[in-house]
Amino acid sequence: MNAHDSYRQGFPFTTALAALVVLMLLASQARAELLIRITEGADSAIPIAVVPFAESGAMPAGDKVSSIVQSDLTMSGEFRPLEPSRMLSLPSQRSEVYFRDWRLLGQRYVLVGQLTRSGDRIEARYELFDVNREERILGETAGASASNVRTLAHHISDRVYEAITGDPGVFSTKLAYVTVTGDGDNARYRLHVSDVDGKRSRIRLESREPILSPAWSPDGKQLAYVSFETGKPVVFVHELASGNRKKVADFPGLNSAPAWSPDGKSMLLTLSKDGNAEIYRLDIASGNLTRMTNHWAIDTEGAWDHTGRGIYFTSDRSGGPQIYHMDRAGAEPRRITFGSRYNARPRPDAKGEYVYYVHQRERAFHIARTNLKNGEESVITRTESDESPSVSPNGRLLIYATQQNGTGVLTVVSANGGAAYSLPASDGDVREPAWGPIVR
Amino acid sequence: MKGHERETISTDTAPLKSPVVMSVALHLLIVGIALAGWSWTSPISEPEPRTISARLVSPEPRPSPVVDEQDQRDREQERRQQQERERQQQEAERRRQQEEQARREAERQAQEQARQREEERKRQEAQARERAEQQAREQEAARQKAEAEAKERERQRAEEERKRQEEAKRKAEEEKRRQEERRRQEEAERKRQEEAARQEAERKRQEAERRLREQQLEALADESRREREAEARRQQEAAAARAREAQMLSESEKYQALIRERLSQAWYPPSSATEDMTARVQITLLPTGELVNARLVSSSGNTAFDNSALGAVRSLSRYPIPSDRDTFERYFRQFTIEFNPQRLR
Repeated sequence: MNAHDSYRQGFPFTTALAALVVLMLLASQARAELLIRITEGADSAIPIAVVPFAESGAMPAGDKVSSIVQSDLTMSGEFRPLEPSRMLSLPSQRSEVYFRDWRLLGQRYVLVGQLTRSGDRIEARYELFDVNREERILGETAGASASNVRTLAHHISDRVYEAITGDPGVFSTKLAYVTVTGDGDNARYRLHVSDVDGKRSRIRLESREPILSPAWSPDGKQLAYVSFETGKPVVFVHELASGNRKKVADFPGLNSAPAWSPDGKSMLLTLSKDGNAEIYRLDIASGNLTRMTNHWAIDTEGAWDHTGRGIYFTSDRSGGPQIYHMDRAGAEPRRITFGSRYNARPRPDAKGEYVYYVHQRERAFHIARTNLKNGEESVITRTESDESPSVSPNGRLLIYATQQNGTGVLTVVSANGGAAYSLPASDGDVREPAWGPIVR
Repeated sequence: MKGHERETISTDTAPLKSPVVMSVALHLLIVGIALAGWSWTSPISEPEPRTISARLVSPEPRPSPVVDEQDQRDREQERRQQQERERQQQEAERRRQQEEQARREAERQAQEQARQREEERKRQEAQARERAEQQAREQEAARQKAEAEAKERERQRAEEERKRQEEAKRKAEEEKRRQEERRRQEEAERKRQEEAARQEAERKRQEAERRLREQQLEALADESRREREAEARRQQEAAAARAREAQMLSESEKYQALIRERLSQAWYPPSSATEDMTARVQITLLPTGELVNARLVSSSGNTAFDNSALGAVRSLSRYPIPSDRDTFERYFRQFTIEFNPQRLR
């Protein structure tokens, strides 16, 4: 501005005016340009077109790869796949993609691909396009045996999910859960492992006695759980590939709530061998125990936080069950939950952003979460007899057990409480879900 | 001088005085005669009507026929004739008295006329005498008047000569005085002109000085006026520029809000987004609102986040932009959009 004034005084008027205009233009150029801040995104899921893949060669019966991908993306709650019947064309490679068509349909992404059968294998070539940027953001080939089309499809879903959201997909991960059929002497408890969409479920253990608290090892190869098969709660570790199992905690009293450490070398257990329930850390290789808590009240359900050093646990030292956090063994626990008289079974996400837990409100039990940055609590389920929350490895989804028409079922919800997706019913009550890790 | 001329004229008209007197006398005479004539003739005319009436009522008595044989009728007629005769006798008596009166009247008139003629003759003799006397008196007066006039004329001549000499002298003096006066006037005029010329020169000098001063003042005033005007113009332009600026700004804010809304609807922050992620995309638009170019100028560090921002920016087929070209050029030709989620799902 001072520069303008001095110019204006030194020059004849018209010259000064011209100079002023020029300077104003320059100033407007030099000044920070207009900045528009976007602080909110669309509330709806991302529109994506998963075009049915072109096929060459015989394909196995059952769900098509593209429809499995479509269903995976739908379950995530973050995508809104386009009905194939509404597609204007069915391209299978880049040269056939007309972005304008997809833009007209309001699509942000288009996934196209081709499946080729060669012998026992099926190979997929697939490409993901950003419709607006008119760019291919993914182009890969992947193969699987003809009997594992679902594995191939979940893999593609993971790749698509990650390319778009920046987070790893969890569609190839596994679920462990327990079903109960019959009662009394006819009761049968079965430990299942299935895909996240509930498909390809396989029974890993069957028992006349209760099976509780399955927990995945970080490498996804082992499950720890509590089995009453010996007449009392004992913690077993079960190697899935071989089916070998061994007792890791068979102390007097209560042995329960196993939780693997992130490095897989130790696990948290709740033991009452010393009188009342306390949390211990078990070194798996040596079998050494380290006491983590020491309080006259019940301390149980320990879970490692994302650092691998601190733990969350449930304690009724305040009179009722509440969630506490402890930075390290022996440190002073810090209470996390205050919102109601009953908060239990903490499950922190892998990023350290939220902790999920069973939360009683009125007479109903919901799953709630607390934002660890600001302490804000929000209830994320609308069902009323909710238990056993388990967070997906990417922190985006949550699975929990609830009651539906008097029967236990599993439901997957977005971690923010958005879309809910009920897993297909299986025989009997379904309970104690545990979301497996991402296996590389 | 005029008085002198009047004198001359009166001298000339003096002989006319006696005819006027004569004329007046003559008129008096004629009037006198007329009056005498009138009083003389009127008595003559008077008796005439009386003579005429006498002739009208004097029928001669005629003998009436005698009708004896008829009795009644005859007696009546007799009686009527008797009455008629009586009446005629009375009439004749009255007529005779009238004639006697007329004869006496005529005698009296004749005597009167003779007396009047004698008076007229005496009166005319007196008049003739008087005319003769009058004539003698007039002749004597005319003679005396002629003498007086001759003397008067002589006196006038002398008087005129004296006046003429006096006049000549007076004129010479007058002429001398006039010349003196003219000379004096000429001198005064010369001096006056000289003074006027001097004053004019002085006035011109002062005028020139005044003009110069005024011109200088005017130049100063002009300059300050121009400066004031220029300053006012500058201020006006600055105010207009500010107003325009404000208008463009408010216009731009409207469209900023529209763009913000459209982009918010078009932006799908990826699940990996966190509230501390910020990506900036600089975009270039055509005046039609079409996107020419979008460039990531500041990365969030998260590819999916950056891509979501770029995708959102590119998803708008046409940006809502102001129709005002200046506002467009100023704000929307090229601008930056910052993506920074504040309320993640």
